Amino acid sequence: MDTVIIDGLSFAIPLFIIAIGGIYSEKSGVINLALEGLLGVGAFTGSVAFLFFNRLGFESMPLSFLITFGFAFLGAGIFAMLHGLLCIRFKANQVISGVVINILAMALTTFLTSQINALVLGKPSNKFILNVSSKFTVPVISKIPLIGAIFTDVYVFMPIIIFISLFAWYLLYKTTFGLRLRACGDNPHAVDAAGADVGKIRFSSVVISGALAGIGGMAFAYSITASYSPSIYSGYGYLAIAALIFGNWKILPTLGACMLFGFTRSGGYKIAQLLGFSSAFSDVIMTLPYLFTLILLMFFSSNNKAPLALGEIYDKGKR
Amino acid sequence: MSEYIVEMRHITKKFPGIVANDDVSISVKKGEIYALLGENGAGKSTLMSMLFGMYEPDEGEIYVRGEKVKITSPSHAAKLNIGMVHQHFKLVSNYTITENIILGQEPKKKILGFLPSVDIKNTDKKIADISKKYGLEVDPSKRIEEVNVSIQQRVEILKMLYRESEILIFDEPTAVLTPQEIEFLLKIILELRKGGKTIILITHKLEEIKLVADRCAVLCQGRLVDVLDVKETSTKKMASLMVGRDVDFKVAKSEMNMGREVLSVENLVVKNKDGFPVVNDVSFKIHEGEVFAVAGVSGNGQTELADAIAGMLRCASGKIILNQKDITSENIRNRTEEGISYIPEDRQSVGLVLDYTLSDNICLKNYYKEPFCKNNLLYKKEFKTYSDELIEKYDIRSGQGSDTNVRSMSGGNQQKAIIAREIELGSKLMIFVQPTRGLDIGAIENVHKQILRERDKGKAILLISLELDEIMNLADTIGVIFSGKILKIAPASTLTGNMVGEYMMGVKEHE
Repeated sequence: MDTVIIDGLSFAIPLFIIAIGGIYSEKSGVINLALEGLLGVGAFTGSVAFLFFNRLGFESMPLSFLITFGFAFLGAGIFAMLHGLLCIRFKANQVISGVVINILAMALTTFLTSQINALVLGKPSNKFILNVSSKFTVPVISKIPLIGAIFTDVYVFMPIIIFISLFAWYLLYKTTFGLRLRACGDNPHAVDAAGADVGKIRFSSVVISGALAGIGGMAFAYSITASYSPSIYSGYGYLAIAALIFGNWKILPTLGACMLFGFTRSGGYKIAQLLGFSSAFSDVIMTLPYLFTLILLMFFSSNNKAPLALGEIYDKGKR
Repeated sequence: MSEYIVEMRHITKKFPGIVANDDVSISVKKGEIYALLGENGAGKSTLMSMLFGMYEPDEGEIYVRGEKVKITSPSHAAKLNIGMVHQHFKLVSNYTITENIILGQEPKKKILGFLPSVDIKNTDKKIADISKKYGLEVDPSKRIEEVNVSIQQRVEILKMLYRESEILIFDEPTAVLTPQEIEFLLKIILELRKGGKTIILITHKLEEIKLVADRCAVLCQGRLVDVLDVKETSTKKMASLMVGRDVDFKVAKSEMNMGREVLSVENLVVKNKDGFPVVNDVSFKIHEGEVFAVAGVSGNGQTELADAIAGMLRCASGKIILNQKDITSENIRNRTEEGISYIPEDRQSVGLVLDYTLSDNICLKNYYKEPFCKNNLLYKKEFKTYSDELIEKYDIRSGQGSDTNVRSMSGGNQQKAIIAREIELGSKLMIFVQPTRGLDIGAIENVHKQILRERDKGKAILLISLELDEIMNLADTIGVIFSGKILKIAPASTLTGNMVGEYMMGVKEHE
């Protein structure tokens, strides 16, 4: 049971920060299907930073771990500007822009990975090997049955992500910026009439969205795969979108949805293990969260309320 | 400093295909109620949008408090203490009233002494104070989606007061309100003037101007016709200036020539989502050459009744018989082909596809027939020929004729397009729901004439309206609906406006 909780959480928490990224963008009225590509770009830039630290001999410094996350944050944030530019400045269709950015991200990072590997390590490979993030166990509390598992073998990045998501919550619901951002997703005309710049607010939301997705991507690279490779693009971005839709575009319920996905996944693995299935079957288990998504979509999507102006290109003159 | 708080000199503004304002000059004194009168599309809103910084004029100058200004954005206008209540409210539906009011000028506080955040709690109190001062009571913690339009409008007014605006622009403020709400609003406007505010009122309703305004500028097709002193000018004079010709308030009606029965509704019940019967056991008949008008206060089931006959709502029980044929369970297209024309209440979302061209909208109900469609291919040339013909015949005005995007057209012309399309179907039964809502008197007169023309051609007409005057003017037979039931059906000649008014409030017949 403990491993189900531990593995479930270590999947759910990175997924959560990506979903928060999605919430930022969509609450401001911009559909962000680009989360998938953005988390990959984040993991890529973070991993490149890791590689260079490694070459320079800094890899053992605890600070370098933080810095790689910083690079993931920046890299994906900058890449997200492309989505913002297309959707806001050039009024492109947001769905198409998102899909294009996903494809672009995948192609670009794969290409750059092999080039950098050839250049730096002298051998063409499509992956960067990373360390697995170090883990810690909280003494005493971790001894409590069941609940203790939450505090056992925790990846170092998990408290960081939780801290960032708390800040993201504060920014979205308590500040002037957040108030205006959420208004942009409901009625941008109101924001304009109130004297704020809809374009700027939406653009910053998309950039924040990318940056948060980047952190999530880096966390996946540090945990699930322990490397950076194109296999990072395996639909987690879309899963995050599903999570935020179940969470009704609200941060706390989205956390619940992410947990659900995390535990279905780890629970599925556990069952496969107990029944002694071969690895071929464990691939089937991988589809569980998605299957679950489909089922939940059937039941919950009718009760959900998307931001009213979601996907709408803001046009001052439109009545 | 000059005596005028706002002066707009020689303003010209052009849009593709249309000159919205042509050399218009107005000057508004501090503390007065200044009305801008004109038909739909006369350029009133455009003129004020420029004062509020949403557009910039192509030519001309704006002076505020004697100083020349170039207003580039709404926030710039707000700095000059200019506020505006738009015709389409600019409110965030899932925000509370307080959040909507403070948006853009949020009061700040610090959580835990260092995290800056928006101060909602103290503002709630401040807003309650302002609203009490002007009699604009609202519950600041309610969400916009939970309150009705009249409260939403109060929020828009409070928004301006919160920003300490001195020049308040109201764009068609009464278009969405009931008579009682209008009365209340006009009182508030007078109250605001007493508080020292300057008010610019955009409207096409003459009675309102007569009631509150001091002076009135009349615009017609983008040009300033005249500036009048309201006290010394008759409504008739204002109307003719605004339309550019004399207007009859009452349309001449010929004798009724009743033919055979066209529509018969028997014991019709329509239920809403919660299973509540919104139309309850309604029966009536309409004959050729008869205008059957359903009178009633808004929300008593009249819209649902029309939707059920047109096929947009399912009937829970009862029968609808058209031309001796039971159509109760037919789909909408079959009903249309059987002979129903429908001019819906909500012309923008039900009547038209706003982002289609005018010609596509005009062919919306026969695009699948020859000559518009042969072998599943559409012939756009035929669309255009047909719509050009109707545009000419019904005098539909737009920027680029058949190719105009319908969204950019004025409300009056949108309605003309729908009416043209529906009349040309040649149906036996025509359903008009609130056909003149939001239209100016010129357009209203036009619609009324068209309804009577169709009646004289021998069509059966079902008219549903909230305007008692309209019903008394047009109806041959009146049915009064009250909470889903028809309380009274009688020939119009036997009823007075007062009697109908009483039935509308649910008063039963005194035996």
